[in-house]
Amino acid sequence: MQARNGKYIKAAKTFVDEIAAEPGGEKINECIQCGVCSGSCPTVEWWEYTPRQVIAMIRAGMKREVLSSTSAFHCVSCYLCTVRCPKGIKPANLIHAVETLAEKEGYNRSPTLKLYRVMRNHMRQGRIWEFGMSLGYYMKTNPVQALKNFPVFIALFVRGRMPISRPARIKGARDIAAMLDKVKEVGG
Amino acid sequence: MKKYSFFPGCAYDNTGLPIKLSIEATNPLLEIELVELEDWSCCGCPGAPLSELGALAMAARNLALAEKTGLNLVAACSCCYRNLRNAHLEYLADSNLRDKINRVISVAGLKYNGSTIVRGLVDVYVNDIGIEAIKAKVKNKLTGLKVACWYGCHQTRPFGPDDHEFPQWMDWIAEAVGAEPVQYPLKTQCCGGSLLVSDEPLVKKLVQKLLDNAISHGAQAIVSTLCPLCFTNLDAFQRNFVSETGKKFNIPIIALSQLMGLAFGLSPEALGLNKHVTPVDKVLAPYYRAKKEAKV
Repeated sequence: MQARNGKYIKAAKTFVDEIAAEPGGEKINECIQCGVCSGSCPTVEWWEYTPRQVIAMIRAGMKREVLSSTSAFHCVSCYLCTVRCPKGIKPANLIHAVETLAEKEGYNRSPTLKLYRVMRNHMRQGRIWEFGMSLGYYMKTNPVQALKNFPVFIALFVRGRMPISRPARIKGARDIAAMLDKVKEVGG
Repeated sequence: MKKYSFFPGCAYDNTGLPIKLSIEATNPLLEIELVELEDWSCCGCPGAPLSELGALAMAARNLALAEKTGLNLVAACSCCYRNLRNAHLEYLADSNLRDKINRVISVAGLKYNGSTIVRGLVDVYVNDIGIEAIKAKVKNKLTGLKVACWYGCHQTRPFGPDDHEFPQWMDWIAEAVGAEPVQYPLKTQCCGGSLLVSDEPLVKKLVQKLLDNAISHGAQAIVSTLCPLCFTNLDAFQRNFVSETGKKFNIPIIALSQLMGLAFGLSPEALGLNKHVTPVDKVLAPYYRAKKEAKV
C-alpha cells in the first residue's frame, strides 16, 4: 500500500496472511488458479465453493464467507489434488488450515467438525475407541442416524469387530494429554 | 525371517479383525516378523484437520518410540502410514517445525532424531519378500477368480512409493497367486474414511461409484488394501448403499492378505473370512473345495 508521502507501508494483516501463517497454508500465494484441485476432487459436487474458489476467495479477503461455509469440511483428505497440483501447493493441507481456522474462530455449522472434535477427545486418551467415538458423535448430533446404522453395528458386534467396552488405557495416556496442551502453547 | 516394528493402529483389533487374523496367519509363511510397537498411540490422523502440529506431534511420539528399536516401522493401515510418514518428512524438511515437534514431545520425555523409516505392508510384500517368493508359496492357485485390486488413497498418495495414478503392486500379487486382476479406472478412489459417520450421502456416492465401476469391469470380488477403514467402509456398509440402477450391492471384499492366505492353502477361518459382513462364500467357496481335495 502506498502512503501519502509516497513511501510504501505494509498493509494490515489480511486473511491470506492468516492462512499463510497456519501450517499447510504457506504456499497459498503461489496458486495459479488452474483448477486441477477442483477437477480432481472426488467430493467437489458437495462443496459450496470448490477448492480453487476457496483459494481465490481467501486471497480476495472474503474471510466470513470462507470460514462460515461448510465447503472445507467435505474434504476427505484423499490427496489427489496434492499429488496433481502443478505448483506443489498441497491444497489438502491448505484446506486443513481453513478447517483449523474455522474451528478457532468458532464457526461450527458442519457435522464433520463435530466429529473431528469427538475424535480429538478420543485421541487425547491415547487411542481411538471406534464404538465410543461413533456413539459420542451420534448422541451430540443426530441419534436417528444411529438407529439407521444400528443393523451394521450389530453385524460388526456379533463378528467381534465392534467391542463395546473401552480399551485399556495406554501407559503414555497422561503424556499425550500433556503433549496436546503443549501444542497450544507452542502454537500452530 | 525379516523383522519389523509394527504399528497396528486403532482399528486393527476391532473393525479390522479379518485383516489382523489374515496378516498373523500369512506372516510366518512369508517369513515376516512384526513386533508390535510398545505403548503405541493414535497416529494423529483424526487430529490433522483441527491442528496440524497436534497431528505431527502424535505421530512423532510413535516415531520416537520406534527409533529406539532401530527397525523399520511398518503400518498396515493406510491412514497411519500416511500420517507417520508425513510427520517424518515434515520433520526432515523444516528445521523450525523440527524444533516445535521436539518441544512438544519433550513433555513425554521423548526426542525424535529423524531416523525412523516408515513403510506400508504392501511395500514389504513386494520389495522385501518379492513376487517370486510369494508365487513359490502358492499351493492353491486361485485360477479364474476375477478381482478388482483397490488401492484407496493413502497407500499411494501422497507419498507412494507405488505410482499414485496407476498403481500396480497389488495387481502383481493377485496375479502371482493365480487370480485375474481386472483393470478399472477408479482403482485409487477414496472410500470416504471417517466421514462415513458425519457425511453419509457423500460417502455413499464415493462407494457407489467405486463398486459400480469395479463390477462393470467384470470383478467378482474386490481386493482391498490392508486398511481397516477402507475395508470396513466397503465390507460392512455396502448393504446401506445401492448401485446407480437401484440394485443392492453384494460384492465380497477381500483383504490382500486374505487373498494370499487362501492361495497359500490356509483355512477360511484362520483368515477371518467368516467375520465378513458381506458374505464371501458365494464367490470363494470353489477355492475352499479345491483346498480340501488337495489335502485328500
